[in-house]
Amino acid sequence: MPLTFYKNSDTLIAEQDQFEKDIAEFVNGDMDPVKFKAFRVAHGVYEQRQLDTYMIRIRCAAGGITPRQLRKVAELAAKYGSNEVHFTTRQEVQVHDVVIENVMNVIRGLNEVELSSRGGGGNTIRNILTSPDSGIAPNETFDVDPYAVALTTRMISEDDSWNLPRKFKIAMSNSKEDTAYTQATCLGFVAVEKDGQQGFEVYCAGGMGAKPMVGHQLLDFVPESKVYHVTKALKIMFDKHGNRRSKFSSRIKFLWKKLDREEFVSLFREEYDKIKDDESLNLSLETIPNGYQAADIPVEVVDSSDYDLWKTRYVFPQKQEGLVSIKIPLQLGDLLREDADSLCDFLEKMGENTIRCDRAQNMRLRNIPEKYLGNLYNVLSRLGMTLIDYAPFIGNMINCTGAQTCKLGICLPRGLSDAIRDRLEVSDLDLDSITDFRLNMSGCPNTCGMHHIANLGFFGKVGRVDGDMYPAYNVLAGATTGAGTTTYAVRQGDIPAHFIPDFTYDFLKVWIERKKDETYESYNHFLDEEGNVLIKELCAKYKVVPAFSEDPKFYTDFGAKARLSLDEIGTAECSAGLFDMIDVDKKSIKTNIKALNAGEGDEQDVLYNILFAASRMLLITRGLDVKDDVQAFKLFQKHFVTTNLVDSSYEDLVRLGEDQNKTVLPTHKDRILKLAEDVNALYSNMDDSLRFKTESGDVIEETAASEVIKVQEHDFRGVGCPMNFVKTKLVLATMQSSEHLKILLDDGEPIQNVPNSVQLEGHKVLSKTKVDAYWEVLIQKA
Amino acid sequence: MNFTEDQVERYSRHIILQDVGVEGQQKICDAKVLIVGTGGLGAPAALYLAAAGVGTLGIIDGDVVDMTNLQRQVIHHTPDVGKPKVLSAKEKIAEINPDVKVNAIQDLLMAHNALDIIKDYDFIIDGTDNFPAKFLVNDACVMAEKPFSHGGILRFDGQTMTYVPGTASYRCVFKEPPPPNAVPTCSQAGVFGAIAGMLGTIQAAEALKYIIGKGDLLTNRLLIFDALKMNFRTVNVKPNPERLKIDKLVDFDQAVCDIKKD
Repeated sequence: MPLTFYKNSDTLIAEQDQFEKDIAEFVNGDMDPVKFKAFRVAHGVYEQRQLDTYMIRIRCAAGGITPRQLRKVAELAAKYGSNEVHFTTRQEVQVHDVVIENVMNVIRGLNEVELSSRGGGGNTIRNILTSPDSGIAPNETFDVDPYAVALTTRMISEDDSWNLPRKFKIAMSNSKEDTAYTQATCLGFVAVEKDGQQGFEVYCAGGMGAKPMVGHQLLDFVPESKVYHVTKALKIMFDKHGNRRSKFSSRIKFLWKKLDREEFVSLFREEYDKIKDDESLNLSLETIPNGYQAADIPVEVVDSSDYDLWKTRYVFPQKQEGLVSIKIPLQLGDLLREDADSLCDFLEKMGENTIRCDRAQNMRLRNIPEKYLGNLYNVLSRLGMTLIDYAPFIGNMINCTGAQTCKLGICLPRGLSDAIRDRLEVSDLDLDSITDFRLNMSGCPNTCGMHHIANLGFFGKVGRVDGDMYPAYNVLAGATTGAGTTTYAVRQGDIPAHFIPDFTYDFLKVWIERKKDETYESYNHFLDEEGNVLIKELCAKYKVVPAFSEDPKFYTDFGAKARLSLDEIGTAECSAGLFDMIDVDKKSIKTNIKALNAGEGDEQDVLYNILFAASRMLLITRGLDVKDDVQAFKLFQKHFVTTNLVDSSYEDLVRLGEDQNKTVLPTHKDRILKLAEDVNALYSNMDDSLRFKTESGDVIEETAASEVIKVQEHDFRGVGCPMNFVKTKLVLATMQSSEHLKILLDDGEPIQNVPNSVQLEGHKVLSKTKVDAYWEVLIQKA
Repeated sequence: MNFTEDQVERYSRHIILQDVGVEGQQKICDAKVLIVGTGGLGAPAALYLAAAGVGTLGIIDGDVVDMTNLQRQVIHHTPDVGKPKVLSAKEKIAEINPDVKVNAIQDLLMAHNALDIIKDYDFIIDGTDNFPAKFLVNDACVMAEKPFSHGGILRFDGQTMTYVPGTASYRCVFKEPPPPNAVPTCSQAGVFGAIAGMLGTIQAAEALKYIIGKGDLLTNRLLIFDALKMNFRTVNVKPNPERLKIDKLVDFDQAVCDIKKD
């Protein structure tokens, strides 16, 4: 059987059949785009910025893909997409520019090589990442790829993986060097050895994004056989306690923040202890062979200085003797179909386990016999679009796709990346002296370009002169990576996009000189002593943007066709789901009531619409998906009326709907409106875990209510009066009534003023506690 | 609510106010206000509305800055003489608060363009200096059901009232423009510069109160002051349904002496 990096679930084909029907319904205009979004994103299908154009994301567990599979993806990209395979920063591949009619062709085509886009997006277990050199690195603790592969197969076969509160990202590192960035992900495993036993140090609740948090150590050691148990326990706990109400604070990192270490760990342990001794749950691991697998082909000898330079730049030894791994730097992560074919022709002769995707949008080859390096070099030099002639620094630059395809993007980091490359290419800088430097760019505060772990990072923002917008970036620097020692890059300033190539040149020139002179012990030492100040000075030097009338180029982003505009920026694709669907019915109730009051439309139709929307609105919270009106009324009767979630006297009303008896509805107008009101009230009392307060009678109600209370915590120590009060008000404004807020205040003026001011606005101050030299104040929002 | 750190600081004194707060400031930042005329009244109104962070300010004026304006039209400075007033104002607004989007229209508000210009705004400030324009602003706002603040100054006196649909309009108080030349203009009679500031800032405050939806507006009330005696009083006025029926806009005759001779 051919090698694969995961096994698709038995239900996949049936799910695809359903998705095909959903697409047809959407194309015919019978399905709301919001509802469709929830379905398609779960199949890894994202809408691009161009109308009706989609991107399909394909799972590659452990970053692995075989030449046979890559060839197929390239073929599909050529036939139905942009003719390129795109390598992402999350070790997977994407096909871009697919029109809706071809989406199923791509998805079905992937089945032929056992690849799948299921779970490429949505609130589920996303692609599981590993160190790209796992299994071949000379200094690794052990190979983690088999764990990622087995865990993927298990997780995607479990029903409860598909409707988590939010996405769930897992990474595994083969050593403490942490090249999989386990502390920047929801759940991270770092290979360690303890008393001769192989196992993992476990981190969790990290994440980048607009609110970055560094992960915490959850367990200092678990035996290697417990990977599944840990993941399962965290998944169950996240499912139970994660915040489903706000998609902006639903990742595991926010749960940690809300609960604090002690409670988080104890909730985790509760689940973990239930299953940890069950050996039947152990993963069935299969080794992924790293070794000599090549057929005998004639050796091609190359003798040139370019070849020698390439070898020093891009060829790395493996722990398996006689074999090497090779990095192929891709331009912006794109591999042309023709290039993929030529490469696969060669790689298929070298074996199945020869490709990994890395996190810098590049390809890594492995298990290539050293004697065939000349053959490979000849193949690579004939490719149309790679960066093998550039210093590794260039290929290591990471950028997200930006506003060209992403609906959230502000700036175009792809264009910026090209501009930096063009600027540095003609410069006198010795880029080979900074091979490992990480320069990362994101088009917006979300972290697809991983700017938080950059040595020098940029993320997009909007600048303004006289109300005219121009593309600009925030500048960050100084991340550290490593298990237990991860810190994120710190923002140092901002700069107009068009000055960044010069800025980068100026900055790197100084760093390269200092590095040569060995002035500092590390890059971060350089930053502390000199670099951060240099960044600030350069930001000041490159601050002033000429008015639009003087130099319009500053107002058009690199690679953009028109002036910067925010008109088309949308909301995040990935978090579509439940609440968007509830909102569809909520809005329908509102507009129909408005029509009713204005006397617009046929009264019985309008009333029917309200009755229907009220009945359907909350079904999704019970995991019920309805196909037609009658079913909606039936399910509402069963799950809401007979259970007394709404008053049981509505029974006859709902039956009228079920019987499609519209003509009598006007005589029940007031009760229909009351039902809509009750359903809305029920929704506003729903807690984060989709439970309704009145669900289980009075006694439970009390516990349920106390569970509902969310406590946000903010540290306003060091913030003077009155800014501490201003910031408190800003947080309160985002909270729901009766939610709790804990703030930390300095002694003196702050504690004397802020609680009083908060009370004057009608909120309750529940407690003021002095801790050391500061105060903890607990506030309940009015 | 997506204030940047800079905005939180800039607007902190608003946010602290219970009646403004985070929500009110957000409303201000989302609001669109049109100021008709960037002279004595429009100048202070524009400055304060910009400082308050009104999201979009429309300014319309066909004039250029004249040396005689500088005594009271504080948004224009000596080097601006000869510059179109809307450009001069736009530059100052950007300096005060770069968050504000400015739509500068170098033109006169006339019967043919009035409805089209005001349609995009939430509130209109009448900062004009002549009766035909004041009645045009009134009529257009009543027709389009747009709230606006009327204001007028002469010598040491000022008067202002606020209209929102359903309340008394300027026309309910004053039926029609006086005959040309019956009432002297500022250029003939003179004006005490500081009262432009007094009245323009009252208008700005009314606009902001309307936006945040707090307090009592000067609706169905005409505020009159005499700065020489420093007396303020309000006169109650009533909506007159007949005078609230406007079906077309008219460009009334301008006083002869006000028409530019060049």
